[in-house]
Amino acid sequence: MASLHLHPGQTAREHLPSTSRFGRFAFFLTCLLSVSGGFCVSEPSPAAKAPEGPGSAAPLTFERNIRPLLKHHCVHCHGEGEKLKAGLDVRLRRFLVTPHGDGGDLAIVPGKPEESEMLRLVREGEMPPKGKKLTPEEVQLLERWIAQGAPTARPEPETVPKVYITEEDREFWAFQPLKRPTPPSPKNAPPGASPIDRFVLATLEQKNLTLNPEAPKATLLRRVTLDLTGLPPAPEEVAAFEADTAPDAYARLVERLLASPHYGERWGRHWLDIAGYSDSDGYSETDTPRPWAYHYRDYIIRAMNADKPLDRFIQEQLAGDELVKGPLKNMAPDTIETLAATGFLRMVPDGTAAAPAAEQVTARNAVVAEELKVVSTALLGMSVGCAQCHDHKHDPIPQRDYYQLRAIFEPGIDPANWRLPAARMLSLMTDEERAKNAVVETEAKVIDDRRKKREDELIELVLSWELAKRPEELREPLNTAYRTEVKKRTPEQLSLLKEHPTINQLNPGSLYLYDRTYNTKHEAELKKIADEATEIRTRKTVEKFLPVFNETAAAVKTPPPTAIFHRGDPKNPKETVEAADLTILASFQIAPFGQNKEGAPSTGRRGDFARHLTSGKHPLLTRVLVNRVWHHHFGRGIVASVADFGHQGERPSHPELLDWLATELVAKKWSLKELHRGILNSAVYKQSSTRTPEKDAVDPDNLLLARAPIRRMDAETLRDAMLQVSGKLNPKMFGSPVPVMLDTDGQVIVGVDTTDTAGRPTGKVVPLNGEEFRRSVYVQMRRTRPLAMLETFDLPKMEPNCELRTASTVAPQSLTLMNSEFALSQASLVAERVLRESGAQPEAQIRRAWQLALGSDPSPEEIQKAAQFLKQQTTTLQAALVSPAPILTAPAAASGATTAAPAVAKPTVAATTVPPKPAAGAKAPPSPAQAALATLCQALLNSNAFLYID
Amino acid sequence: MQTNGCLSRRHFLSKSGFCLSSLGALALLQKDGLLAKPIDLIPQHFDTLPKPPAARPKARAMISLFMQGGPSQIDLFDPKPELDKRNGQKFSGDIKFDDSANASTTLMASPWKFKQHGQSGTAVSELLPYFAQIVDDVTLIRGMQTGVSNHGQGIYAMQTGGVLAGRPTLGSWLTYALGSETSDLPAYVALTDPRGLPVLGVSNWTQGWLPSIYQGTAVRSQEPRMANLDPAPHLRGEAQARYLDFLGGLNADHLQKHPGESDLEARIASYALAGKLQIAAKEALDISGETQATKKLYGIDDPATAEFGTRCLIARRLVERGVRFVQLFTGNQTWDHHKGILAGLPAACKYVDKGSAALVIDLKARGLLDSTVVHWGGEMGRLPVVEYPGSKDVAGRDHNTYGFSMWMAGGGFKAGTTYGETDEFGHKAVKDIVSHHDYHATLLHLFGLDHEKVLFRRNGTPMSLTDNKGGRVVSELLV
Repeated sequence: MASLHLHPGQTAREHLPSTSRFGRFAFFLTCLLSVSGGFCVSEPSPAAKAPEGPGSAAPLTFERNIRPLLKHHCVHCHGEGEKLKAGLDVRLRRFLVTPHGDGGDLAIVPGKPEESEMLRLVREGEMPPKGKKLTPEEVQLLERWIAQGAPTARPEPETVPKVYITEEDREFWAFQPLKRPTPPSPKNAPPGASPIDRFVLATLEQKNLTLNPEAPKATLLRRVTLDLTGLPPAPEEVAAFEADTAPDAYARLVERLLASPHYGERWGRHWLDIAGYSDSDGYSETDTPRPWAYHYRDYIIRAMNADKPLDRFIQEQLAGDELVKGPLKNMAPDTIETLAATGFLRMVPDGTAAAPAAEQVTARNAVVAEELKVVSTALLGMSVGCAQCHDHKHDPIPQRDYYQLRAIFEPGIDPANWRLPAARMLSLMTDEERAKNAVVETEAKVIDDRRKKREDELIELVLSWELAKRPEELREPLNTAYRTEVKKRTPEQLSLLKEHPTINQLNPGSLYLYDRTYNTKHEAELKKIADEATEIRTRKTVEKFLPVFNETAAAVKTPPPTAIFHRGDPKNPKETVEAADLTILASFQIAPFGQNKEGAPSTGRRGDFARHLTSGKHPLLTRVLVNRVWHHHFGRGIVASVADFGHQGERPSHPELLDWLATELVAKKWSLKELHRGILNSAVYKQSSTRTPEKDAVDPDNLLLARAPIRRMDAETLRDAMLQVSGKLNPKMFGSPVPVMLDTDGQVIVGVDTTDTAGRPTGKVVPLNGEEFRRSVYVQMRRTRPLAMLETFDLPKMEPNCELRTASTVAPQSLTLMNSEFALSQASLVAERVLRESGAQPEAQIRRAWQLALGSDPSPEEIQKAAQFLKQQTTTLQAALVSPAPILTAPAAASGATTAAPAVAKPTVAATTVPPKPAAGAKAPPSPAQAALATLCQALLNSNAFLYID
Repeated sequence: MQTNGCLSRRHFLSKSGFCLSSLGALALLQKDGLLAKPIDLIPQHFDTLPKPPAARPKARAMISLFMQGGPSQIDLFDPKPELDKRNGQKFSGDIKFDDSANASTTLMASPWKFKQHGQSGTAVSELLPYFAQIVDDVTLIRGMQTGVSNHGQGIYAMQTGGVLAGRPTLGSWLTYALGSETSDLPAYVALTDPRGLPVLGVSNWTQGWLPSIYQGTAVRSQEPRMANLDPAPHLRGEAQARYLDFLGGLNADHLQKHPGESDLEARIASYALAGKLQIAAKEALDISGETQATKKLYGIDDPATAEFGTRCLIARRLVERGVRFVQLFTGNQTWDHHKGILAGLPAACKYVDKGSAALVIDLKARGLLDSTVVHWGGEMGRLPVVEYPGSKDVAGRDHNTYGFSMWMAGGGFKAGTTYGETDEFGHKAVKDIVSHHDYHATLLHLFGLDHEKVLFRRNGTPMSLTDNKGGRVVSELLV
């Protein structure tokens, strides 16, 4: 097993070169400057990463050292294609020493590098003709191998097998069966140390390091509360925890937090990232909203809170439709819930409803491809996307494997028999509700008819007025021409009407245009009747829908064939394949997927796949799951590349711990909360974050966890934490998302979009009644409209999902914290709360502000500095607030009031940021002292002590 | 490490460049060979670093004065003696009306007089006296045509090359292909009119499906100019300085307890960088240091022309500082003279004429005109027949997308030229027609770019500004 063993005296950095200090810095810079495209990234071939450095005399083999290099650089033209360039196939060593092409050349002459044409071509850069050249190390490797006689590890097959996976491929760590390691007993482990601690301590011991002592109580409380709920602890919770001196105080705290409904919102959000949760279709800028996607979000939050076993959790998401009984109407709540889980497979961008016919093949194929990306990154920790077009260049994933995976899903998402998003909805309306609605509709229809009749009368009226404006002799011919059916009009009639466009174009659709020159009361009259009908229709039960992933009866009966696309081109299908997991994992698969049981609602492929994944034996799934949990607790996974367990990904820093956790998950009946308990109660988790020069010298990037990490709050936590501190957080759970809209700068804010069809602001403001203060997980996630406040702090873009969030530090974040309407209004609200709860004494105010924002009491020096700040700031603001009226209660006024025309005013700002207005005249504008207090609170909310989790 | 982290949509907005230059990162990147190369068909990374175009460019920057609503070419740029002659007569040709209820087929001559100006003898309406002074520096295009009928589609055609929503705008394409010469300012700036946003609002500077770093940054003509740039009014100056100072103290204490945490140090530094950004933006937008003569040239001394003149001057300042693309908008439907054209058109002209001409004069005087394209025009023109017939005061003209005029200057456009013709009534373009695709192909050409090669792969298809619909580089327009 190619695990990581550190030898004494060797730093962790040497073993994980790509995470070195400089490496990370360069990565940070690249990120700042650039956005990665969703394409296969060309990296140095694995061969270059092989342990044998140039110059070493270690014996090389084709399979281990050379094939990876050729796969990376050459196979695309010399092996994979239908035609071999120059007649050369490099997939087997035997072909390299066989004459090829017209000239009958040999690619290499074993033992004679200088006579090997292939070596000359790559050395001189002639090959590969396009793309990355071989590195000098790779060229040297090739040269040494040839010089050594170009050996193979074992006799090669006669021909290239359809799926060629070598023993060397199978040796890779991630494909090894799970074994439960015994926790080691390092000397530095205290008696009774938990298995997790023993694994971590054992690694540390090799480097003569040990864990930090436990963090101070307040620090620990804040850390674990934010970690489990995404919200900071309230001052009362801090006081209670400080006062609780029982030995199990912390363990009970963990239990309380795991039982909080906010736990599901926080940990559900992590899963929603990997599932790519989105409230819109994406794909094009049309980005049609998905008003019913929230059923899936709510399912996830409920499942997390209920600690639904993860095996069941995954089975429901992949094949919930197979787990319920039909018919799918008048459904019971648990049926709805299980079906909602399949929303997992309905999250990816789907532009097929909006895409024109010519784009359908591409658009449909994109949906399937994105779905495979989500499934493979979320559950397999492998990016299989590259294999859509060709054998994976680095991992043992032949192109065929990609289509085997695809075949699992294709009966439910068949590009040849496409179902648009709207056709994948189940109505949640019961028959009884439907019958009642029909009665209401009949009533409304009567009003509709009345309106139509009146409209016809009005057309007659306008026509008579228009005719009256014409000379006497034209009236009759025009009247006749107008009333003649368009197709039956004579050329004379057509020509006559053309001269009189106001009559020619009179119709119900244009009636409103005439109305303004005649009498607006007619338009108003029609509207009044229409409103009457609308009013009646409001009595109907609104039909709700549930997006589901399932298979049609036709697809179950005759499953669509899944073909390998030549070079990934959906218009060029070749050989068909059967549904299966990756070939390299074939030994873990018990039976073929989808042995259709008679009368089953699906082919059963997804259910079988799900059960195979969650058998407890699958080497990837459990490792991937526990690693992701570890990642969220420590800011870094045991495998840092949480969605790439392949050759291009990182190697595990604690491989045995990873396997222990994976087997532990299965042993604890797949309970996520059990996994949390184990981790959160470990000394590794509870230790302080203090750095020491000794530790930094050995392990500067803290790969070995000799201290707790310091992390910035993610976007949602930051927004939610501010709302919590200001006391405005609306704890309402579930349901339709809080709407977002564009303000006039194109900034996305919370609010109901009231622009007209041309995108012009109408000035209308729809009150949100506290919805604006709900947690960020409930804010509409429209792909093209990420909430500006969240986006600034690295809210991920769901294209199609997010495997790993980034945390940038850029100037616009500072500007947002300093000047944004959200930051200013929240600071004002915190100040109001401080005043309410602490009274007029500056010292009491300062103390309360500290408690609320930072969960701690200020030191005497801090009180003194803050008091001086308040005093001076009050004096300054006394002058600045000469015109006190709206400035502080509505910082938003800054952006709206100075723009003259209503068209550019920011009518909606109020909805996002300004606290709900008190009754007129109820509240005096804030005093300079209160305004000063607000800036103090803002400084606390913007401080590193608030933004970072220690 | 492979960059498999999820990137947010906007945090790389050219703003990120601000931070970098001050970190000296640019030099570092150059050393590492990471500096951007000319874009290829499938770039894997996107940035706003300056990129060399494929061919030697004439133009390096562009300022577009977008006259949203559709200025009447018949009354401004394209005199029609035949129309004058047949004033009041019935028009027998095919007309596509937008507002049928008030339509008529009665021809309406231009109420304004035309005169020839400059050495080129370009005919200009009396409504544009300042434009008349720069005609020798201008290329007048009289045969524009998009063939779509309403404002939305017309704007999409002119701004994005297609008629449907969702495509990137011209400025986005230019910054995508060429990056920006400045790291302290946004690469692409939209200067909006305080009287209202144009039709389609923020879609006028959208990056569509290009990465969001290519989105235009909206800058208002009055405070607050940019989102989150300024403190709230009562916090400006001393109050914010004290707050930042206090925050600095908090962070310093915190850092002392967490020595060696570079993330915390970076966060502290980001406040200083925000200050730099504020200063660079403020400096570029502050015209107080301009001479009285310059301000007078732009009409900033006259309330009737000051607002637009100021924005034209700011546009010059932005381009001077390396901004790639600046677009000015006139207020919502300023030029949409369905009705009351007799009063409306002179007012609209008065608002923009002086500033527009001053921009060309000033750029020329500073030696910037050769490398800066200036564009003046809207999404359509107007019909030769009268809308709201009857009273002279209510009379107007309906939409016309089959023939309209606009002018270009600088950046390689041939000075003192008029190109293209409409029919004898000024209705449809009939000779040397320039479509929106031709216009875009020509612009990219001046920037050293081939419109068929500046591509972005989307859902497997290479997309272009000209919508893969062809488009001719109109060499007759060029030097």
